[in-house]
Amino acid sequence: MRAWTLLLGGLVVWTAHFLALYGVASIFPGTTIANWLVLPLTLVAVAALIFLLRRSVVQMASRDSLDRWMGRLATLGAAISLLAVVWQAIPALAR
Amino acid sequence: MKSETGFDPALFDRFPTKEERPPGEIEELERVWRAPRGWGLLTAVNNNYIGTFYVGAAFMFFVLAGFLALVMRVQLALPLQGVLPQETYNQFFTMHGTLMMFLFAVPMMEALGVLLLPQMLAARDLPFPRLSAYAFWAYFIGGTCFFMSLFFGLAPDGGWFMYPPLTSTTYSPGINADFWLLGIGFIEISAIAGAIEILVGVLKTRAPGMTLARMPIFAWAMLVFAAMILIAFPAVILATLLLELERALNWPFFDATRGGDPMLWQHLFWFFGHPEVYIIFLPAAGLVSMMVSALSRVTLVGYQLVVLALLATGFISFGVWAHHMFTTGMPTLSISFFSAASMAVSVPAGIQVFSWIATLAAGKPRHNTPTLFLVGGIVTFVIGGLTGVMVAMVPFDWQVHDTHFIVAHLHYVLIGGSVFPVFAGLYYWTPMMSRRPLSERLGKWVFWLMFAGMQITFLPMHLTGFMGMPRRVYTYLPGMGLEPTNMISTVGALTFGVGVALFIYDLARNFRFAVEGTAGNVYGGGTLEWLPNGLYAARSIPVVRSREPLWDDPNLGDDVEQGRYFLPGTPTGQRETIITSPIRAEPQYLQIMPGPSVWPLLGALFTAGFFLLLTIQAYTPAVISGILAIPSIMRWLWETDRPVAKQEVDVGGGIRLKTYATGPSTHGWWAMIMLLIVAFMVFLMLVFGFLFVFGVHPEYWIDFNASGPALPIAAVYTAGGALVLLGRHLLQREGSTLWSPTTQVLLGCLALAGAWILDFALWQDAGIDPEASAQGALIMAFLSLEGFLVGVAVLMGAYLALRTSRNMIERPRSVTFDVTMLFLVYTAAQGAASTLLTRLFPGGL
Repeated sequence: MRAWTLLLGGLVVWTAHFLALYGVASIFPGTTIANWLVLPLTLVAVAALIFLLRRSVVQMASRDSLDRWMGRLATLGAAISLLAVVWQAIPALAR
Repeated sequence: MKSETGFDPALFDRFPTKEERPPGEIEELERVWRAPRGWGLLTAVNNNYIGTFYVGAAFMFFVLAGFLALVMRVQLALPLQGVLPQETYNQFFTMHGTLMMFLFAVPMMEALGVLLLPQMLAARDLPFPRLSAYAFWAYFIGGTCFFMSLFFGLAPDGGWFMYPPLTSTTYSPGINADFWLLGIGFIEISAIAGAIEILVGVLKTRAPGMTLARMPIFAWAMLVFAAMILIAFPAVILATLLLELERALNWPFFDATRGGDPMLWQHLFWFFGHPEVYIIFLPAAGLVSMMVSALSRVTLVGYQLVVLALLATGFISFGVWAHHMFTTGMPTLSISFFSAASMAVSVPAGIQVFSWIATLAAGKPRHNTPTLFLVGGIVTFVIGGLTGVMVAMVPFDWQVHDTHFIVAHLHYVLIGGSVFPVFAGLYYWTPMMSRRPLSERLGKWVFWLMFAGMQITFLPMHLTGFMGMPRRVYTYLPGMGLEPTNMISTVGALTFGVGVALFIYDLARNFRFAVEGTAGNVYGGGTLEWLPNGLYAARSIPVVRSREPLWDDPNLGDDVEQGRYFLPGTPTGQRETIITSPIRAEPQYLQIMPGPSVWPLLGALFTAGFFLLLTIQAYTPAVISGILAIPSIMRWLWETDRPVAKQEVDVGGGIRLKTYATGPSTHGWWAMIMLLIVAFMVFLMLVFGFLFVFGVHPEYWIDFNASGPALPIAAVYTAGGALVLLGRHLLQREGSTLWSPTTQVLLGCLALAGAWILDFALWQDAGIDPEASAQGALIMAFLSLEGFLVGVAVLMGAYLALRTSRNMIERPRSVTFDVTMLFLVYTAAQGAASTLLTRLFPGGL
């Protein structure tokens, strides 16, 4: 289970962040509260992704070839999710 | 090397074995795996047969849907044509979209999965062959009856997305819409059955040594595809059920005048509908990645990035559903998020496209039919992808929404991203199951006709859309400048049709189904499906040491054929395959597999009968059919979960595996967990609907003062779940009697039924009226959903009792007991959660 968690962790964080943004935009439609809430949500997601990145980078140095492969995949997943999370938050943060 | 299960990977070095195999082993394998003949073929469950039936049926629906498209194009060739009356045109475009999406695209991918995956993974078959058979027959019977509705003027006519209020009884009073709602709901159940089969198959039946890093890319694609089905399809199943309940019982989920909201339908539908596009695209992308490598005679460039792209698409695709709703007046900020996600999803698609181009550039692609279809598909898909980024921009989408521009865009994506890859695949893999390959000469004609037809049809259609022609109108006035592009599109469509007709001719001329003596590896693929095969798949199951084992070990085919790897015979004398661990594919145990049976066919027939008879309001026959489906399915299951006399057997190389296992690492447990994920998603979507409707129309909600019994009812549900867990605990104790564990389960069922009856009765006392408001309707929907689960739980309890009475429950652990326990505990948890939610929100909080 730990292997899957690390492998898919980045993408799960991206999904959770997206759904949270959709949630606040729907619960507080047309208000600035939604825009303000996006910032802490994004910071939490970024922090989680940096944590996952560090874990996966450590795994990339494993002596086992499959662990290294999964570590690389997890790192790529977390990195692309980091970009996606920031990209996702821009519409709210830029206002 | 590390181990995942305690298995010593050094044992793989024993293979290929050196000693001669005993005589008669192959004959025994052939006897065990022999398929029925004649009419008995209807009872076949081997993936070779079911997979071929499945591909054939999906292709048949493609041809039928394509024919409808041609008639529509003839109608639109000139203004004010009279080929199709308005009402029939509505039925045609609805059936065209529905058939293509629900009866061709998704089933074709599942079909290819059933056909190719066991061979690609070197498994004897997928883990639940009877489930595959059930899924196929349910789909085929349901789909055929659904299509036949067209001949009686009863075909649905509300578009493939069936938006209410157009599809409410006010505007669609006949049973046409019901055909769609019940038919599609049913067919999606079949798709979910197939997805569970594929998911467990990829994770648990791979050849030893085939780690995640060595998995064929098609298996990765099918893994993501099947997982997406489990998450996405419950939304459409729930949506169709709610709309059918609204139509049949006047429960106003989508009626804004009674606190419902038609936007709820759009959210539920598109939560399914957009991932559906990727559900169709990803397996096709997997096919392309496999073929582009084999046909270029070089390994896939960026394998790991392609895996990442598949996974990322799977996740991001669930964040784009509302881009179909940009014009509905959603909050601007929400729209911005969906717009950003819609642009982001093009990144993983781009990664795959660049990988394919790089692979083609790095290798030496040959000029043959599958390569032509691959290149044509990539070009077409890229054009569709670019217009997709255009419509992800909200202001642009507002301009072209519901015009022919969108029709052009979606056809570029779906034909380029799915149809052309499937045709490439049909040419590439036909030699695996036919005595002769398809004709290269005819194939090139087929490609050029289809490719040219596609571009001639849909490129001008962008202009038709820009000029303002809306979708789903059966004609247009002369003098609006729409004639030239429409005429060109019709000529293109007919050209495409000629290409498909030529393909059918090629099939009729050259396709000769065979399991042995096939044309073989014509295109020089490097993956395991090209090993010498019989009905038992490969003679022995190889140890996989690379991604293209046939390229890296030229002797592999011979060694496999000589039985020098795993499972060279049938040590238990029954159908069997090796179950391996999900990450490192280490052998865990031997799965005994069921053989041919008429019961999956009968189960599918009666289940389909239930839904279809319900549609035409033949209630008594529908109930009889539904009742007959239950013993049919139970009878099919009755023959499973039967341990064999030998508890451990030698599976080759002196390695011994157990012949019976249950618990969290086994395939049965995994399948049940996946089924429960589906149930949970249905529940989650209903919770979303509940909160959504409250958020939109809180003024319609009244306080029923119903929070008092919430905790007691939840406690009874919890007690039911606890009793079931106690039963499992007793089963593991040697001192317990034959009946004591099952008795706990039956008491648990009683508690679940009691809790549900109490909940229902107290809501009745509180004066709830599901026809009066969406609030009442949603509460009744929660009760109905839970009631259904409790009903199934009671049936499972009865089945367990029946097996106990025949002393057919293994001790200390039993698969039947475990899966029953999982289902019942979930039912208890969902019952408690839905009681607390409906009784405490919003008044009790």
